[in-house]
Amino acid sequence: MTGGSGVVVLDNGGGLLKAGFGGDMNPIAVVPNCMGKLPGSKKWLVADQLQAQDVDVTGMTLRRPIDRGYLINTEVQREVWERVLHNLLQVDPTNSSLLLVEPQFNPPALQHATDELVFEEFGFKSLGVADAPSLVHLYEASRQPSLFRAQCSLVVDCGFSFTHACPVLHNFTLNYAVRRMDLGGKALTNYLKELVSYRSLNVMDETLLIDDAKEKLCFVSLDVPGDLHLARLSSKDSPFRCSYILPDGITYKKGFVKDLDEAHRYCSIPANREWVGKDSTDSDRSKFEDRKKPELSQNEFVLTNERFLVPEMLFHPIDLGMNQAGIAECIVRAIQACHPYLQPVLFESIILTGGTTLFPRFAERLERELRPLVPDDYQVKIIAQDDPILGAWRGGSLLAHRPDFELMCVTKSEYEEMGSMRCRRRFFH
Amino acid sequence: MEGEDEENVGPFRRTSARTRRMATRMASALASSDNRAQAALARLEALESDNAAAEVVDLNDDDEYDSADEEDHVLMQKKQSKNMKRKTRQGKALEKKAARSFMDVLQEANLESLPPHVPTYSRAAVGPPSTSSRRYYCSVCGSSANYTCVRCGTRFCSCRCQVIHNDTRCLKFVA
Repeated sequence: MTGGSGVVVLDNGGGLLKAGFGGDMNPIAVVPNCMGKLPGSKKWLVADQLQAQDVDVTGMTLRRPIDRGYLINTEVQREVWERVLHNLLQVDPTNSSLLLVEPQFNPPALQHATDELVFEEFGFKSLGVADAPSLVHLYEASRQPSLFRAQCSLVVDCGFSFTHACPVLHNFTLNYAVRRMDLGGKALTNYLKELVSYRSLNVMDETLLIDDAKEKLCFVSLDVPGDLHLARLSSKDSPFRCSYILPDGITYKKGFVKDLDEAHRYCSIPANREWVGKDSTDSDRSKFEDRKKPELSQNEFVLTNERFLVPEMLFHPIDLGMNQAGIAECIVRAIQACHPYLQPVLFESIILTGGTTLFPRFAERLERELRPLVPDDYQVKIIAQDDPILGAWRGGSLLAHRPDFELMCVTKSEYEEMGSMRCRRRFFH
Repeated sequence: MEGEDEENVGPFRRTSARTRRMATRMASALASSDNRAQAALARLEALESDNAAAEVVDLNDDDEYDSADEEDHVLMQKKQSKNMKRKTRQGKALEKKAARSFMDVLQEANLESLPPHVPTYSRAAVGPPSTSSRRYYCSVCGSSANYTCVRCGTRFCSCRCQVIHNDTRCLKFVA
């Protein structure tokens, strides 16, 4: 499918940009939404060039067009979109319509800038705007209609810049009940950078490498004090200890985990164990020595309790000093802002989406946190998507495939006649 | 991140001419009133950062790279003028457009003037938690922390961690 009069579906995320054609199952391009520059050279690498095999991402300066989830820098975004549209999708914008997935509460000034970018710089034929939660609901409802007989659900979208809890009813997001936490993948990566820099190597500039380490090594713990005690044991017994090797440009171009099997040892521990709390001073001493030794060779750092302390931040931001409620309370407040008749139904259909939910054991831990906050007679059921990163994109693809999609869009001639403000009223947010 | 001389900060500090790297926000926090709360706020802001701040410093770092040889002043001046030109051409063009951050746009949008039933970005924020009890983690090893450092207020869990903290990290924010 190249060009023609197809619909291009673009999910403009803070971390990853997902682009493809409407009607497809999977997007053609899932690339980082940023431009990067290596310290030695003057050339800027765009989007998927950063993922190429021979690129060493150490010390790379990144420029993101998205700040706190909203599109601020249209110059950089134009570069990224050009690369994606011309090189990866090979589509001609003047012949196609665009379905853009935007975050909620987009200020009018930014909406105007986005419209300018779409119509005047690229020249798309028409533009449709949707928000991620309604698309996710559409996709899940079409896959499992028996679960959503009441046509409503609560979509928890844990993305790169923030986390939203949005109730969706009949494919419309209930704006007044949306609650937002300013924590997402970006804050988790920054926290991990801070922990590693404080305890071993200084990695404050290595965003992409630490992103990779976070995705491969972090998990959610079901019992934090118990796991902290386990992590204090010496290296032979500690099931959490593993090391990540940084690239040095000569032998390794990409960072990687030293021993993946070792990294997965924690899975074999049963979830509800009784720990025998005896810290022996010997184990502590050997642990400190172990921590100091491997750093001198090779360029690697060791992670033990950071692996589960980093995702812990989503559940208890106050442990960091941030005066925000955790994700469980965010869900409860969002649901309580809705009509009382809707509340039990919403608790029964909670959908988890967004890349940050990919941590192992996330859904289990969320259910444990949520259950005490919910009245006894309501059921709590959490549905994790198969592929949380592509969830919103697939919903967009379904929407774009519908025959009445063109009626929902704003065409270029309408935009030129009436301007951006009048056209935006057609989209309900 | 700049190297700074720390002799002027606080009465407890040994005067030291060695340049140490310090995060810019930490530096400004320390310089203002040596307040622990301000340092904590600075740390939280750093968590939100998008790595965009590194762009400005990058051009200065190029300066440091080139001027490793300090005997050659003429060469350094020439390179500085070249760098200034480089900044005006590409870097500044990108910087000018991106000078507004999202918080600026939010201020301009003036959301408080809307009637209270209209949902906005600020009203959608989840707000403070219901309990303000928090857990503290040791800054050296990460286990549950019970003790506080007298000088800088960071937490640690045992005497061993306290020794490490005093040797290497107290009041020396390396980041």
